[in-house]
Amino acid sequence: MAALLAMETGDNTAGMVSRTAISMRDETALVARAQSGDTRAFEALYREHVDRVYGLCLRMTGNVGEAEDCAQEAFIQAWKKLARFRGDSAFGTWMHRIAVNAVLGRIRKSKREQDRIQAVAEMTTSPASIGDSGELRDLSDAIDRLPEGARHVFVLNAVYGYSHEESSDMLGVAVGTTKAQLHRARRLLAQQLKEQGFEA
Amino acid sequence: MNEKRDDKLTAAARQLATGIRPQRDLWPDIEQAIAEPAESEPRRSRWTPMFAQAAAIVLLVGASSGLTYLAVKDDGPVVISQPAPDYTFERTSFGGSHTLGNDYLDSRADVVARFEQQVERLSPAEREDVERSLEVIRGAIDDINAALLQDPDNTLLQDLLMKTYHEELNVMRKVGGVTQSVMSRRDI
Repeated sequence: MAALLAMETGDNTAGMVSRTAISMRDETALVARAQSGDTRAFEALYREHVDRVYGLCLRMTGNVGEAEDCAQEAFIQAWKKLARFRGDSAFGTWMHRIAVNAVLGRIRKSKREQDRIQAVAEMTTSPASIGDSGELRDLSDAIDRLPEGARHVFVLNAVYGYSHEESSDMLGVAVGTTKAQLHRARRLLAQQLKEQGFEA
Repeated sequence: MNEKRDDKLTAAARQLATGIRPQRDLWPDIEQAIAEPAESEPRRSRWTPMFAQAAAIVLLVGASSGLTYLAVKDDGPVVISQPAPDYTFERTSFGGSHTLGNDYLDSRADVVARFEQQVERLSPAEREDVERSLEVIRGAIDDINAALLQDPDNTLLQDLLMKTYHEELNVMRKVGGVTQSVMSRRDI
């Protein structure tokens, strides 16, 4: 157990987080223990998934503080809803759904999107680009400047590889909307990158 | 040309880090939150319907003010180059134990689609008014839905929720210029 708690999720180099620390079988066992109220097991799940949950929150909100709050809220909600997790999807995918809900709920209830766009525009480097290197930072910054809906769809679809059906389900919108938003995101990203001298 | 551009963008996007470590350990706060005793929850929940009804009514008054403001504005649409902020339209819900009729859901989807096309033509100030109105209405919908979860057969709450959804459509119709029939509680 101590080894599980001390595991290192590490960063990714090709869009996928290294998942060497916990096998699927171990994860299923941890979920079962957490469902029976074992907070140590839930902490192990947190350590395994926090980077991808936080990464998604950061890319969707573009704000470190909000991303921390959303990731925190996502894990708290996951603990409360853990009894309902039946393993139909991977635990990481289930966590992502909860994280998306946390982000949408927070955006709806608190901060104005206009404020966020202005704050991002004033930054030279977006917080989400911390995890990226070289030219990818420019893309990361450009994603951060996208309008909310286009950004959410692009992050889920293009960065995290979810299908239109999965993205629409997570975001609670029609599949047609995610397709339109992805098209819009690509158009706006191409414009932004072209203005910065990159050939997209 | 566009396909090539999209392929390059997609390939680049797949290279972005999907796992980013938070600058601080979030676990201590999470552990504290999940360790809190739950015994206070039932006492709070007894009052939720009353608070929700009151809050919903107050919020509706605010929403109506916003709508009135929109209605009396006679400025024509202004074409702007900056992309408009997006409005996330959640699936409609009805207190967890009822569902809204398919006709209403289809009509709502049409209005939402039309709204999303038209909102970009509004000036920033007009969009701000729209956003404010929608925020108020969404808050009311959340509150009423929470109350309906505890009191699913409360016809007052059901009527209130339908009226609130109707207010949401009104805001979108004013932007999109779409006509829409009035709903009643029988649409559930």
